[in-house]
Amino acid sequence: MTRVLVVDDEPQILRALQTTLRGAGYDVDVASTGEQALTAAAVRAPDAVILDLVLPDRRGTDVARELRAWSTVPIIVLSVVGDEEEKVAALDAGADDYVTKPFGVEELLARLRAALRRAEPSGEPVLQIGQLKIDLDAHAVFFDDRPVQLTPHEYALLALLARNEGKLLTHQAILRDVWGRAYADESHYLHVYVSQLRRKLEPDPARPRYILTEPGAGYRLVDPLRSS
Amino acid sequence: MRVPLRGPSSWTEGVIGFLASAGAVVFVSAAIAVLKRWMPVLSLGVLYLFAVLPVSVLWGLALASAVSVASMLAFNWFFLPPTHTFQLRDGANWAVLAVYLATAVVVSALAARARRRAELAEAREREAAARAAAELEAEALRRSDSLKTALLHAVSHDLRSPLTAIVAAASSLANPQVTLDETDRGELIGAIRSEAERLDRLVGNLLDLSRLRGGAAEPHREIWTVDDLIARALDELGPRGDRVEVVDAEAPPVEVDAVQLERVLVNLLDNALKFSDRHVTLRVEARSGGVLLHVTDDGPGIADREIVFEPFHSAGDGAGAGLGLAIARGFAEANGARVWAEDAPRGAHFVVELPVAARAPVPT
Repeated sequence: MTRVLVVDDEPQILRALQTTLRGAGYDVDVASTGEQALTAAAVRAPDAVILDLVLPDRRGTDVARELRAWSTVPIIVLSVVGDEEEKVAALDAGADDYVTKPFGVEELLARLRAALRRAEPSGEPVLQIGQLKIDLDAHAVFFDDRPVQLTPHEYALLALLARNEGKLLTHQAILRDVWGRAYADESHYLHVYVSQLRRKLEPDPARPRYILTEPGAGYRLVDPLRSS
Repeated sequence: MRVPLRGPSSWTEGVIGFLASAGAVVFVSAAIAVLKRWMPVLSLGVLYLFAVLPVSVLWGLALASAVSVASMLAFNWFFLPPTHTFQLRDGANWAVLAVYLATAVVVSALAARARRRAELAEAREREAAARAAAELEAEALRRSDSLKTALLHAVSHDLRSPLTAIVAAASSLANPQVTLDETDRGELIGAIRSEAERLDRLVGNLLDLSRLRGGAAEPHREIWTVDDLIARALDELGPRGDRVEVVDAEAPPVEVDAVQLERVLVNLLDNALKFSDRHVTLRVEARSGGVLLHVTDDGPGIADREIVFEPFHSAGDGAGAGLGLAIARGFAEANGARVWAEDAPRGAHFVVELPVAARAPVPT
């Protein structure tokens, strides 16, 4: 059974999530402090972690960073509106996605399924995301089976987003990966390239359905058929 | 009045400086004229330093140099033979005059410098004082800012946490993908209910606080027995009130606003129940002029007996927004009652002192 570790200091939230996730077919471990979370994850390795950003003993961001030091387990952080900086810090520290409190369980379960799916290595050289097909070996991109011409940076950006389908990638993470460490703060590069990619790929670039903007945080590539 | 450093800065001060300098030279010359009967006149020339020094300190080096030259001329004119001429019979007297002049100039330079230093030190002191005042102001701003931040935190964390549990539980109950048995459903419904009550308490507390701050909490004081007030509070607490152990005593009636006093007692008991798993004690004690109600628990106790009454002072995450005790004290004081915390060997000990009614209760 897939095991999920839920970390939150609010007993009622913890209890509601535990009941819900168990009802959705997951095996659930709970922790109410960062210390407990790290111990629980070490004793019984979870398949995914749902982590509140505000904990009594340490920041959720620090817990995410410590987990990342020895584990690739998908981490979904629970944030609140007004805590955007902390949320981005947690994503940069290695968290995979976030859900904003208060949230419906549909959203949480969808994010959890997506995170678990990504965690399974596909190893496939050809990625098919909706009408988008990317041949990672041949560096070739097709949309609706028609070839799309991309510059090397556009291709690198698209390939990075596609390899992390559904995952929110922060501006910094993308810039570091595609352009290099020295460009980590040049977000305007990224905005320009994303809009170029959208013009080449999206049927309606003004209403993107594949490359989605997460305001203040980053971008994610989704399969519009699967996510709707 | 302080005279500016670099000579006279205005015409008036210039005139005052000039007159004072002339006066000083005349005064010293007169003194020498008197003293020369008893002492050799040549050594009395050193007295002109008494004219040079104050001028140097008060008006600076420029005027002091002028006074030095004027002094030497006066000395020569009045006292060195041939007198009433600027000539000297004895060539050695030139050397004496030159030594006096040099001494006067050096001394006045030193004095001017000392004065400059004193002024610099004073300016630094003034600057430090201004900086301290600015820091005090910034500190006041920070404090008012931190109150706003605390309010925002209370609203964002303490309102959102119960909301999160409610939305998660409700959407879980409505979600067909989630299989729930009877126990699970009961648990989720219970969570929705208790979190909704928590939200209601918090909203009530915020309203109370704003009423107290806005001075809208005008009490309607009536005569009540202490037993009535306690019964109302326990009723308000509902099943949680079962953990409160009341140690009753004979007490005179008190004159308070029952609704507001209920808030005082409920908030104190609520606080005690929150930090203790076992019984909380409410003990009545009659004293001359007042009735004391002691609320004691065996929880972790409090670190600071005053700071706990500050609004938004919270014991930590999950402990609440830190409003209850502030509101209790606010309503108590509006009713002529007092609330304070006492030292306790273990747990916390809060006391309410109620004012005894001045007139006897009207029998009903």
